[in-house]
Amino acid sequence: MFGGVVRGTKTTLRPPNDTDLDAHKRWAADMRVRRAGPIGRWHEPAATETWKERWAEQAKDKTSVLWSIDAGGAGTANAALAGYVRLSFEGAPHSDKVILHQFVIDPDQQRRGYGWDAALALHRWIFDFMNLRMAVVDGIAADDTGRQRILEKLGYERFGHGHAVYYRDGAYVDQYLHQMELAAWHERWPNEREYPPLGDEKAL
Amino acid sequence: MFGPRLVGANGISLRTPTLEDHKRFVRWMLEPETSRFWGGRIADVRDEAFEERHKKDADSTTSFMWSIAYGDETVGFTGIFGIDWVARDGESGIFIGRHDLYGKGIASEAIRLRTEFAWRELGLRRLHNWISLRNRGSRRGNEKAGYRQMGLMKRYTFRSGQWYDDWLGEVFSPDSPSATFSPPSKGG
Repeated sequence: MFGGVVRGTKTTLRPPNDTDLDAHKRWAADMRVRRAGPIGRWHEPAATETWKERWAEQAKDKTSVLWSIDAGGAGTANAALAGYVRLSFEGAPHSDKVILHQFVIDPDQQRRGYGWDAALALHRWIFDFMNLRMAVVDGIAADDTGRQRILEKLGYERFGHGHAVYYRDGAYVDQYLHQMELAAWHERWPNEREYPPLGDEKAL
Repeated sequence: MFGPRLVGANGISLRTPTLEDHKRFVRWMLEPETSRFWGGRIADVRDEAFEERHKKDADSTTSFMWSIAYGDETVGFTGIFGIDWVARDGESGIFIGRHDLYGKGIASEAIRLRTEFAWRELGLRRLHNWISLRNRGSRRGNEKAGYRQMGLMKRYTFRSGQWYDDWLGEVFSPDSPSATFSPPSKGG
């Protein structure tokens, strides 16, 4: 499936469209993105036709969701594609938790706060809008401090440490696994709501 | 892919799964005795769904799957899935469908055969898995083959009024270098 619009302050998650395909081709072939391991590597580089097939499969897949991340205000002249995020429903179709598989900000647009802003918006969708019980990120390289900082700020806890899991730059790197539950979201982000509360219906 | 025949001790072997085996696996997963620690006891049991899944498993280039035989009878399955051929790492799993045979060491021997095959024939260097912490039999079988805890996920599953945590294990091939990297800020 493709995800709908979720607005942050600096970014907007929105349904992907065909014009985003070139960026995916570029990111898949960019060693700066691929270096992150599975969380930065949805697919291997491929021809355009193959990418179209991948998107068609993603659109049909009811167990996972793909969003494009726009920076600069979705639907405005300033909107520009800045990355993408993809998650799956663990144990679908009766799932109560999601696994965040890919979270990518274009390397040329990093250090502008887009990653944090999009992550907060995404988790508002997961917990405040969907009321899911848990979010899991099980594919972070131990030296990926940028993504780890975002997870820690959101309220994730580390629950696992895999040793020498990913191979790149001629060496193995460890893997950290994180989880965050709905209660942690409510405790840390009580005012992060998609909609303001409605008044008492009986009083209307 | 499907794995080749591997003969173990006490009448236990791993063998190439058949379509009939696959139908048994799914039907076993729909029984309460086998699903305390496994899945949601729902499945697509149409013949075409079995065939499609069987073909998908056979065609996969990132997994190996076996039926577990006790004597001549298929009693469960095991496999290595999601193999990363660059990192030479894969996720392992096992399911004994014949619950009347629990406690006979079938899973332990199957895990031993599978693990040996991963090191000696596939050239893998690491295997990992997720097991319900409460599933002591499965955990013990994996620990006998060398798996060690690398994590504990809280409240992974809910059954009959209780939360079950999940145990994360990993095991390395005997010739795998032990050097690992952990930043000092993360306890390394």
